Amino acid sequence: VNLEALDMVHNEVLGDVATTLASIAGVDAAQVTPDKSLADLDIDSMTMLEVIVALEDRFGLLIPDDEWSRFSTIGDLVAHLQQAGVGTIS
Amino acid sequence: MSAIKTGSNAKKLRIAIVGGGIGGLTLALALRQRGIVSDVYEQAPELTEIGAAVALSANSTRELDRLGLLDQLTAVCTEPTELIYRGWRDDRRIAAFPVRTDDAYRKRFGAPYFGIHRADLQRILSSALGVAGLHLGHRLTNLVEQGDTISLEFGNGRVVEADLVIGADGVRSMVRTFVTGSEDTVYSGTSAFRGIVPVDRLPSLPDPHAIQFWMGPNAHLLHYAIGGHGESVNFFAVVETPKIWMQDGSIAEVHEEVPVASFRGWHPAVIEMIAAAASPLLWSLTTVRPLLRWYRGRVVILGDAAHGMLPHHGQGANTSIEDAFALAALLANAETNDLEPSFAEFQALRRARTRKIQRSSWVTSSLLHLPDGPAAEMRNAKVARFPDDFGWIHDYDVQQELQKIGCTPATSPAGTK
Repeated sequence: VNLEALDMVHNEVLGDVATTLASIAGVDAAQVTPDKSLADLDIDSMTMLEVIVALEDRFGLLIPDDEWSRFSTIGDLVAHLQQAGVGTIS
Repeated sequence: MSAIKTGSNAKKLRIAIVGGGIGGLTLALALRQRGIVSDVYEQAPELTEIGAAVALSANSTRELDRLGLLDQLTAVCTEPTELIYRGWRDDRRIAAFPVRTDDAYRKRFGAPYFGIHRADLQRILSSALGVAGLHLGHRLTNLVEQGDTISLEFGNGRVVEADLVIGADGVRSMVRTFVTGSEDTVYSGTSAFRGIVPVDRLPSLPDPHAIQFWMGPNAHLLHYAIGGHGESVNFFAVVETPKIWMQDGSIAEVHEEVPVASFRGWHPAVIEMIAAAASPLLWSLTTVRPLLRWYRGRVVILGDAAHGMLPHHGQGANTSIEDAFALAALLANAETNDLEPSFAEFQALRRARTRKIQRSSWVTSSLLHLPDGPAAEMRNAKVARFPDDFGWIHDYDVQQELQKIGCTPATSPAGTK
């Protein structure tokens, strides 16, 4: 496993999540760190779902409702999206 | 390269709409409003909707108004007096909001809220369309891609070629299986008894012309009046059973005492309604799991086929109507030899909205079914904020959303030709 590549993917995914949260939910991108709690972002569930749909389109994978509704931190969301990101490294 | 509408030297697109329900008929009308001809293929030999009604909210009535159909609808619709929430045992109002009263709903949303029999809605849409483009008795059995055309094979032996196929064929969509290649329906673990009962057979019912939720443990009943003079009440009584749906179709027969027995101890009006309907049928509440893509090649799906949802926001038909207007506008600008960008725009415009309503309807289901106690009390406080929490569903104006991405609104009413 190429750890450096994994790290790069993690940072790219985190960057995409930050950009999406900023553009759709008006979250300050600097606040978007892996251990940040999603509840602390103070986004209602319908706005969160808009963020989820945008990320699904961006990454080409589905995030089922019973999964995203259980994410507690930004890191959980990034980890889910990385399943797609890792698939693109070869 | 030529747009569909203006393609005089390009081959004219043959457009096949599978499904002559609310979504399919509305799409054909919305396309015609933009000068585009289509054919609708419906499996039923006659347009006879089974005994059920639908509530049309402002997000669809403002569009149907633009089609020139509002007067015809008004003649056969009932506007609810109020939206009222009650518990299951007594008739105390937990929350109530004026709808027709003081013209409150129209003032807020700019268009009416209507209860209508599905057969009436389908009749108004299909007579506006006319018989020429509507082909009954066509049950789709197969779609075959052959180069740039799609062959539609029907159960009656006919084979039709089209350049563009739209699946408006409901939750159990045949067209969707072509698009996704998977089984995407999800039984919700809830099912419903339903019926239409004359108001004069409901002596215990308070506010018979309101739209009302009766909420109780593991069940709820919703009803609203229909008909030009509110002469009947359409109800929908949801139970959290069976755990697994065993039947092939969406309807199961039950013993005749089951519907009433499922609501034993509820308010007499609830019992009267279910008993008067005398319908020993249980309807599965089945949804479509959220999908990542609504199209493949020259085939696209809309309405319940794309995002079948629980009915607890009353938005299945309304979102299908929104979809129809959105897709018609985007197809009017499509390039005949490259449809995917238009399909992608359609999905981009519609997926987040319908996903939100799907999700919210799912959450609402469990909220409506709480046992008495602290959680139900919190729920009751929440329904008191209903107009603020759910105004976004009714506020939506698909033509405004289309204008934001550069689509011009259609001009002439489609029902006038």
